[in-house]
Amino acid sequence: MTITVLGVNHRTAPLEVRERFAHGPGEIPGSLERVLAAGARGGVLLSTCNRTEFYLSDPDDAAPEAVWALLSERLGGARRASDYGYTQRDREAVRHLYRVSAGLDSMILGETQIQGQVRDAWELSKARAGPALHRLFQSALLVGARVRSETGLAAGAASAPSAAVAVAAKIFTRLAGRSALILGAGDIAELAATCLASEGVRVTLVANRTYERARAIAEELHARALALDEAWDHFAEADIVLCSTAAPHAVVTWDRVAPAVARRGGRPLCILDLGVPRDVDPAVAQLENVFLYDIDDLQAVAAQAAAQRRGDIPAAEHIVSEEVERFWAWYGGLAVVPVLKELRDQMERVRADELERALRRMHLSPEDRAQVEHFSHALLNKFLHQPTIALKEAAGAGRGYGLLEAIKRLFGLERRDDA
Amino acid sequence: MILVLHLIALGLYAVGTALVLAPYAGLRAAPRALTLALPLLGMGAHVIGLARLTPFVGVAPTLSMLALFMVLLQVASEGLFRAPAVGVFTGPLATGLVGLALLIGLAPEGAPSTRGPWSILHITVSVLGLAMLALAFIAAALYLLQFRELKARRFGQVFRLFPPLERLDQLNHLSLVLGFPTVTLGVLLGFGVQYAGGASVDAAQVVWGMLTWMVLGWAVGVRVVRPWVGRRAAFASIATFAAVLLVYLALKLTAPGTQRFL
Repeated sequence: MTITVLGVNHRTAPLEVRERFAHGPGEIPGSLERVLAAGARGGVLLSTCNRTEFYLSDPDDAAPEAVWALLSERLGGARRASDYGYTQRDREAVRHLYRVSAGLDSMILGETQIQGQVRDAWELSKARAGPALHRLFQSALLVGARVRSETGLAAGAASAPSAAVAVAAKIFTRLAGRSALILGAGDIAELAATCLASEGVRVTLVANRTYERARAIAEELHARALALDEAWDHFAEADIVLCSTAAPHAVVTWDRVAPAVARRGGRPLCILDLGVPRDVDPAVAQLENVFLYDIDDLQAVAAQAAAQRRGDIPAAEHIVSEEVERFWAWYGGLAVVPVLKELRDQMERVRADELERALRRMHLSPEDRAQVEHFSHALLNKFLHQPTIALKEAAGAGRGYGLLEAIKRLFGLERRDDA
Repeated sequence: MILVLHLIALGLYAVGTALVLAPYAGLRAAPRALTLALPLLGMGAHVIGLARLTPFVGVAPTLSMLALFMVLLQVASEGLFRAPAVGVFTGPLATGLVGLALLIGLAPEGAPSTRGPWSILHITVSVLGLAMLALAFIAAALYLLQFRELKARRFGQVFRLFPPLERLDQLNHLSLVLGFPTVTLGVLLGFGVQYAGGASVDAAQVVWGMLTWMVLGWAVGVRVVRPWVGRRAAFASIATFAAVLLVYLALKLTAPGTQRFL
């Protein structure tokens, strides 16, 4: 019995490679089926923008080759997927998944999105997972939750878009229902807008120098498109302004927005300038109740959170190690039961054969035959008692796996497996 | 018994304050349930201890009552407004007030008091109003600190641990709006007690008390009628509370009356 993980992640493969490996939900069952057909008792495919990993239980030798072949096909050309990948087995595979679920292996340390992605992967692969991976993924979700509740690994906002949300949340009591205006069509502004929208902020207006581009983004966010010059007046109503234009100089100036800000009646306005070079004239921050943050500020917030999170790594790793041992004890126990049964069956066959052979030569009375038979049973039970206890105890302590392999080898159970 | 109950309250408030202050010292924040439970347990002991101090003769019982209301408002702020930072001020203040009351001596002084139930109600309502004004002041101070950090783009402990600006503004607004009628009721009860012959108050105290009440009315007026929000409203709250304290100190120094409960 083994658990193996094969895959690539943001540490081993560049984005250009990772995006080729990424599986949509519809592709997962097909790929998994193909790998399982090569020989594995169960499998789960975890695919996100930062990782694609196959978790296999009891894989045959052909299964890893099938994984790399499948990924190499997606890569195209003469490149081999295995050059970008890694393989972890048994305890290390379990540890790997637990670290992934806890956010310890994420690009942004402690990010919480991965927990949902692990859950989705399990849901999509559940029919093919098998009991060991079923238990492994369930426990991985619990480990993730435990790490996040018992340590500060998920505290704070550790990326610039999430820092934008964190900063806005320090100005407004509730973000839900606030209105946001987006100036420009930069990717990071779109990302930050998505983060804000996930907190319930309504993106009501999108303004851009090119009206068509503004309309395209506005449609995605169910907002209204504006030309850039029409935007200044709307500073009177918006609660949050996200700026990310491609302009080479500041477009949001005191002169343009001060009249609108004066009509706000003292309500705070949060301006998040994500453009490089900056889109907002720093003088705008002098306006009463205007809070202006540029990309450096947001990165400072993110870096601070990341530094705090790093301090919680040892505590998180400790929880992971504890849980790995707990899983491994269960898994060892799972493996012990069939092996013990097989060992007992084999010994019973030997006992019965030898007893039969001996009794044929001895010509005993029925009472004496019964006595000898009873003796053989008692002897077998005595012989098997200590190994059974030792194996169960070792499994309970998480050391059953090695002993199991030894027993299989000593009593020839492995050869029977192979046969 | 009174002393023991006050000591229990003092201990629980002190531990609760330490838990509130822990994150500011770089320690892990205590679970929210614990930061609420400790002051609540302390309040339980405190209420029983304070009830045995009626009719509140001397300054010590009033200080103790003020501490009780401060903790009550701290728990309410945390429970309703998710503003644990209020405890940064109220925690040490309440602990200090209970400690001071214990040092002064809680047992009734001198001859038995002739204070009736209306007089006790006047004291209770007035102290509650004062505690609300103190909460308005604390919310305003927290607002200005958070405002300064946000404007200056400093993302330290104040940014992380203080509530959002808007919530602090709402807390300040609510404390003033509820505090003003409470103080007014306290003043009216005081007049009633005086005219009923329950207490004699000198003219200076009445004049300055009325002036303070008018300043407080102005602060509430500009919040509700104009309406001022944010920084301006915070400054108005702080100015008002400062006026109340100044008038109290002036009266205490110039006319140390024996009939006053503070």
